[in-house]
Amino acid sequence: MTTFDFSGLDFAVRSDIPEAYGTYWDTLAAPGNWWTGAERVAIAHASREALDCPFCVQRKQSLSPYTLSGKHQNSGPLSERVVDAVHRIITDQSRITQALVDDNAANGLSKEAYVELVGIVVTVFSIDEFHRALGMPLQELPEPKSGEPTFELPEPLVEDMGFVPTLPADGATGKNADLWMPGSAANVVRALSLVPDAVRGWQQIAGVQYLSLQGMQNFEQDDNRSINRMQMELIAGRVSSVNECFY
Amino acid sequence: MMLRVSATTTDTEIALQGVVGDKASAATGIAYGAELMHFAESIALRDEKVMAESRKALLGAAGPAVLVDAAGVAANFQRMVRIADSIGIPFDYMDSPTVQAIQQELGLKGFASARHSMTSDGD
Repeated sequence: MTTFDFSGLDFAVRSDIPEAYGTYWDTLAAPGNWWTGAERVAIAHASREALDCPFCVQRKQSLSPYTLSGKHQNSGPLSERVVDAVHRIITDQSRITQALVDDNAANGLSKEAYVELVGIVVTVFSIDEFHRALGMPLQELPEPKSGEPTFELPEPLVEDMGFVPTLPADGATGKNADLWMPGSAANVVRALSLVPDAVRGWQQIAGVQYLSLQGMQNFEQDDNRSINRMQMELIAGRVSSVNECFY
Repeated sequence: MMLRVSATTTDTEIALQGVVGDKASAATGIAYGAELMHFAESIALRDEKVMAESRKALLGAAGPAVLVDAAGVAANFQRMVRIADSIGIPFDYMDSPTVQAIQQELGLKGFASARHSMTSDGD
């Protein structure tokens, strides 16, 4: 397993955090449902480049993100369309629209591939943000593993919210029964369920950075945390507010 | 909404305006609230200099365990906002009067991503 080393800090980091990050890193390097391991690592690389992309800065300042033309900073092998999707998620996520996702799907970036891409981008970004928050350098990306994607679709799928199909609230059954507990299917939990492993990936990280789905039912304080739920939600609310996230 | 629920559960008086950056409100009823709010804000704004200052302030006030857990929560929500917006999901509890009151108090309906949750008449 990949080792995340926080020994450069003057204080300890809970051991479950680097363990979960290491597990995710190994998953990142392997073939997924719709992308190869090399493509998945390239998506992670693109998510880091987004933060230094001059075109993203220019577009973020424009009144409409859809009228400006230009090229993203892109030193990897991914197409401009894929890199554009990655960069929007990092730098201008609140202005992503159904029309953009549909246009991408009609031009080679399927909704299934988009959902897996979202899962990679947000999970790598979140792990990177933890490092930045503590003043640590970012972890080197893993070496891709060989193999082909599975191209496996979950069932049943519905189109009752958002830009992509998802499993229905009562659809976490069979081999996907672990995705959420009955009655815990908040929209954000279902959001990436077109690619169940994308849900598993972020839940695994959320469980150590914030709370597990089960832990979220505790509104006082988790035994394994030094901050209580109010402190957590103040942080969550402030981050969401700065990002202008209505959800 | 979760902040309101956790405050109600623990019978604590809080001021929600801490979520939109008011330092005094953040400190109301929440230990290290001002430092936590500033640290969270600096991470979301991605200002390295301010982040270093706020990290030092939180570490000094609350200690390393709180700093690590706060960094985890902030990093987590840097992800969650991007899942919600990149998939365009609506908020689950739009009909709740408590939710509507919070949205009104904090001016949340002015956010671009509110469109995923609104009907054509703005509700």
